[in-house]
Amino acid sequence: MNSMDIVPQLILNSIIAGAIYTMIALGFNLIYGTTKFFDLGYGSFIAIGGYSVLFFYRTLGFNLYISIPLGIFIAGLVGFVVYRLIYSTLRSRKSSNMVLLVASLGVLTTIQAIIAIFFTSQFHVLSLKNSSNPISIFGGVITQTQLVTFILGIAVMVLIATVFRCSLFGKTIKAIGDDEEVSRIVGINTNNIIGWVFFIGSAIGGLAGILIGFDTGVEPMMGLSFLLKGMVASIIGGIGNVYGSVLGAFLLAFIENFGIWKISGEWKDAVAFSVLIVFLLFRPQGVLKR
Amino acid sequence: MEYLIHLLILISIYAILGLSLDLVVGLTGLLSVTQAAFYGIGAYTTAILLTNLNINFFLSIIFGMIIAGVSGLVIGLVLSKFKGDYYALGSFGFNVIVYTILLNWQSLTGGPLGIPGISRPNLFTFSFSNNLSFLILSIVIFLIIFGIYYFISKSSFGRVLRAIREDEEVISVFGYHTLWFKMSIFVIGAMLASVAGSLFASYITFVDPSSFTLTESIFVLSIIILGGLANRRGAIIGAVCLVLLPEILRFVGFPSEIAAQIRQAAYGLILILLMLYRPQGLVGEYKF
Repeated sequence: MNSMDIVPQLILNSIIAGAIYTMIALGFNLIYGTTKFFDLGYGSFIAIGGYSVLFFYRTLGFNLYISIPLGIFIAGLVGFVVYRLIYSTLRSRKSSNMVLLVASLGVLTTIQAIIAIFFTSQFHVLSLKNSSNPISIFGGVITQTQLVTFILGIAVMVLIATVFRCSLFGKTIKAIGDDEEVSRIVGINTNNIIGWVFFIGSAIGGLAGILIGFDTGVEPMMGLSFLLKGMVASIIGGIGNVYGSVLGAFLLAFIENFGIWKISGEWKDAVAFSVLIVFLLFRPQGVLKR
Repeated sequence: MEYLIHLLILISIYAILGLSLDLVVGLTGLLSVTQAAFYGIGAYTTAILLTNLNINFFLSIIFGMIIAGVSGLVIGLVLSKFKGDYYALGSFGFNVIVYTILLNWQSLTGGPLGIPGISRPNLFTFSFSNNLSFLILSIVIFLIIFGIYYFISKSSFGRVLRAIREDEEVISVFGYHTLWFKMSIFVIGAMLASVAGSLFASYITFVDPSSFTLTESIFVLSIIILGGLANRRGAIIGAVCLVLLPEILRFVGFPSEIAAQIRQAAYGLILILLMLYRPQGLVGEYKF
């Protein structure tokens, strides 16, 4: 096979990976933009989404269209509960970001381990049929799952952008992100709103986890690696900016997929982090500023 | 008895790692989560030099320290541009990059299969082949590193580091070149971690990349956070608690796969509970 023939496929792969990173980055960005700390626990909410569907759909045999909303809901719920039990307490004590970061590291480690205890650390595939008809476009091939992933990625982006632009809720979130203290003074129930932000952000992460589960599969440690991709995407795109996250996600996906064109696929993570470090050094505000 | 010696060796290795990281995290207040990278560099240097070139173990420690020191210099220099959360995130990145190199540089590191058949240390004609003599060796090395830690923390150098931790801006106004201090301590931390790696490689006689993941860095971080930051006893207490914890789980009788996960869950819970109720750890002098 001529090495140029692979280009359309690489582009398609990048677009699909970009859509997944977009969702993860958007959820992460929503939480970071409001609370200003890196919630590593977010990685485990991604895994929870995937594993909830594994449990309802594969183990209990629920209908697919009930399992997926349930998975999204549970991921959101866990995010909400973790916020209320841990982060909210720490934040009301004015703990430093380091304390929150370490606590969220604890959340990530604990939830990953609990998932592994119940579902083993083996790899599981969510889909029952192993071959959904692949669709060929422009000389490359994508599966139906990947097409759905792409559409949902765009849908989540549009939804979030609309909420931020048009709704009172979006404006409230923005206000808290700008200045939490003042928002509280003007009468916004910040604790309540941030709880919702955690619910929505984690639910988006959960959705991404479910789609990853249908595309490649789930394993307990999946959250960490995708969380880091989401963080990298939001930072290189411009943290706190919705369009920045999307841009960063696709940029990262393209760099990763084309970066491994000539070298082996195992270097993907290293490529992603090298990109992050280069950006932090030379353009720490990302491509688009907030 | 043999089992007890095994645990004590592990404790001394992790106590060395804890001390080396505490210099950076506790004393200087830089949240670095990349210690497993330097630990791995030390372990692989010893493994490669001992199996391929048949160099003396003690010489390989020196080589490991040099390589880890140079990598520490590069990594530390990049990280010094970042602050707070970004520092931690960047250090994550370097751990992943070093791990990926260990995993993929097949010709040098043997890839995922690792390097087997590393010999135990030799000193002149004496071989540290039985575990008791190895324990004595690791305790001696631990004590040397403990001494270095003690010396640094009591010296004027250590006082500047503490001042950087409390308020970097003020100390730089006083004319201290903080970058130089932060770099030095980061490199020293990297070199000491590499010593732990050399010991580990020679003790287990086998290395593979899975021992040097981000999870391992998090484990070392948990050790010093549990024990207490910026306290020389903290790393030791933390290492004792966290190395013995999984052994207790094993005695309770969980199958090893489940026990490993319960251990992970316990580490995570410890971090959460400490942050909620005792952010300075058991005997710490500094909290974030």
